Amino acid sequence: MDAKHPLATREELANLDFFTDLADRYLAVDGLEARWVSFTKKEILPDKKIAERMHYLVSLARAVEETLDSAFRSGHIPGTAFFGRGNEGASVASAMCLEDHEWLVPMHRNCGAHLAKGHPLKSIMSHFFGRADGPSGGRDGNFHMGYRPKRIIQLISHIGTMVPIATGVAWAAKARGKGEATINYIGDGGTSSGDFHEAVNFAAVRKLPLVIVIDNNQYAFKTLLSDQYACDALVLKAPGYGIPGFLIDGTNAPLVHHVCEQALARARAGDGPTLIESITLRAAGHSVYDKFSDYVDMEHFEKWTNERDPIKRLGETLIEFGVMTAEEVAASHEKAKRDAEDARDEALKSPMPDPAHLTEGVFAE
Amino acid sequence: MITYREALSAALWEEMERDEDVFLFGEDIGLGGGAFYITKGFMEKFGRDRVVDVPLSEAGFTGAAIGAALCGMRPVVEFQFADFVTESYKMIVDYAAGNHYRQMGPVPIVLRLPAAALVSAGPFHSQNPEIWFFGTPGLKIVAPTTAHDAKGMLKEAIRDPNPVIFIEYKKFYNYPVAELPEVLRPEIPEGDYTVPFGEAKTLREGDDISLVTFGTTVLEALEAAEVLEAEGVSVEVIDLRTLVPLDKEAIIESAKKTGKILFLHEARKRGGVGGELAAIVAEEVFEYLDAPIRRLGAPDTHVPLSPPLERAYLPSTEKVVNELRDLAAF
Repeated sequence: MDAKHPLATREELANLDFFTDLADRYLAVDGLEARWVSFTKKEILPDKKIAERMHYLVSLARAVEETLDSAFRSGHIPGTAFFGRGNEGASVASAMCLEDHEWLVPMHRNCGAHLAKGHPLKSIMSHFFGRADGPSGGRDGNFHMGYRPKRIIQLISHIGTMVPIATGVAWAAKARGKGEATINYIGDGGTSSGDFHEAVNFAAVRKLPLVIVIDNNQYAFKTLLSDQYACDALVLKAPGYGIPGFLIDGTNAPLVHHVCEQALARARAGDGPTLIESITLRAAGHSVYDKFSDYVDMEHFEKWTNERDPIKRLGETLIEFGVMTAEEVAASHEKAKRDAEDARDEALKSPMPDPAHLTEGVFAE
Repeated sequence: MITYREALSAALWEEMERDEDVFLFGEDIGLGGGAFYITKGFMEKFGRDRVVDVPLSEAGFTGAAIGAALCGMRPVVEFQFADFVTESYKMIVDYAAGNHYRQMGPVPIVLRLPAAALVSAGPFHSQNPEIWFFGTPGLKIVAPTTAHDAKGMLKEAIRDPNPVIFIEYKKFYNYPVAELPEVLRPEIPEGDYTVPFGEAKTLREGDDISLVTFGTTVLEALEAAEVLEAEGVSVEVIDLRTLVPLDKEAIIESAKKTGKILFLHEARKRGGVGGELAAIVAEEVFEYLDAPIRRLGAPDTHVPLSPPLERAYLPSTEKVVNELRDLAAF
């Protein structure tokens, strides 16, 4: 990082506005220096093949969650459901950077990451519907799922837990593999947990091949950021652990891809972990039961959902630079919707688990 | 003959030589060889990537060990004292214990917990951790009391595909072998052997009363049985060795034979494993009983530090003798 990127001043950091300050630049933090890196939409544009896949996957993430939401309203989902609306761009664009043999440790707003890593649609749907052929056989639900054939590690409810688990996955990759990278996600709320601190510290000490993406979606259930942390930005925790960090607009999918590639290259080279703070807005409730208009600033909400919708933004950019035509973008949406609905229909035909097997599998043989 | 501590070291050493996926996480275990020197000399032999001095972060390194186990490695985690495992409780009972049931694969991890009282170690270095885990499905819980079992069961634990709560007794680490009752110093075979889980060991045959125990209280149990023998009462002493899986048959058969049974452990009586075991006997062989089932454990307090308090807290030979005399007279 050289002098052409201006240092961020203390005052700028103290008065950060996520909406305006990250529109055409991101913050790169390394040691005591935080520098603004400007970019143009054109220079971070992925090539056509990647762009087309990215667009289909973000559309699919939204289509899957909308299909699931409607299935929940129709009574097909036991329990509850959490969605990542607003986070599809960051989720897809980061996980797309992983190779097939690399590891994904998602949280409950990462439908897009599951899809990008190759978790089959029907498996996801069956899991939500509590069916026998889902990845947990109906023993857990919603986004508490992994998919071992694609090296996706299963989430549990306790926020924070997955960061230490991810360090262990990265440990194994370093110890017995070739240093394959791991991506792990955590929310803004999760960064307050002790697990987050213990894990990032350990990953830094041991230079583990890990990229931690903080999905800062501006709410931890019903708690405001100002009640969650007192630092100017979560990325500023990175130098405290001795690792670099980036603060980016997470609704700009090509930018997420661009920055994650840099972080993953560092991980794969054996240089250790990177912390990426990706700013989005949770464009729905915490769960399907959450009446978020009770506590969310709806003016702020409208502004973000209108102007920072990751799917709309990606489509417009790809059309603007001639990567995809308007017709191709529309067709990509249509295909995503059709694929999600087909998977739903298939999964609804799957059998429910048989209570005769209730007590099986507590122990591995 | 080797000590319990040397047996644990030998098991770890041999397993690390046998399988490259076996590695150790723990505080101060590398450079310093561990608080109890169980891994002294290991880092020199196996390197700092297999004998890992982890930052002071029990939840973090337990989670990391689980993550590595999910990827097929065989981590052995040393807690400096069993008491500190509460820092990692969620990682163990919510992540590791249920992962296989949720069809997300096995978690082959061993959690080594140096447990129980040892000369005024106080409330935070003296606890018996089995009570925190016994009600959670998916965890094996083992508690070897001899050097023979410590070695064979640690090897078994490392080769087991499930999370294993491996309770070690600090009291036995450096216990002079010559001072142990003969039954607690069985011959250790040359070379590789394992001790299967779920098999209790009868330390002493008897006909009048069954005394079922595990952990440090095997010593008091054997001493008390000697006292009762001199009084003409024949006491059968059983060391459970593993709590999960449980050798229910051994308990049931002994209860049927003697008709009188005492469950003894160092942990508190309330909420202790003895309550579950007593319930099993009551449910399954009530008609064979000639006396009410008895339990002896610590009183319902925290573990006190000062010597007279600690002595009063711990189950002593005298207390066991009194329980047995009551049962004999019933």
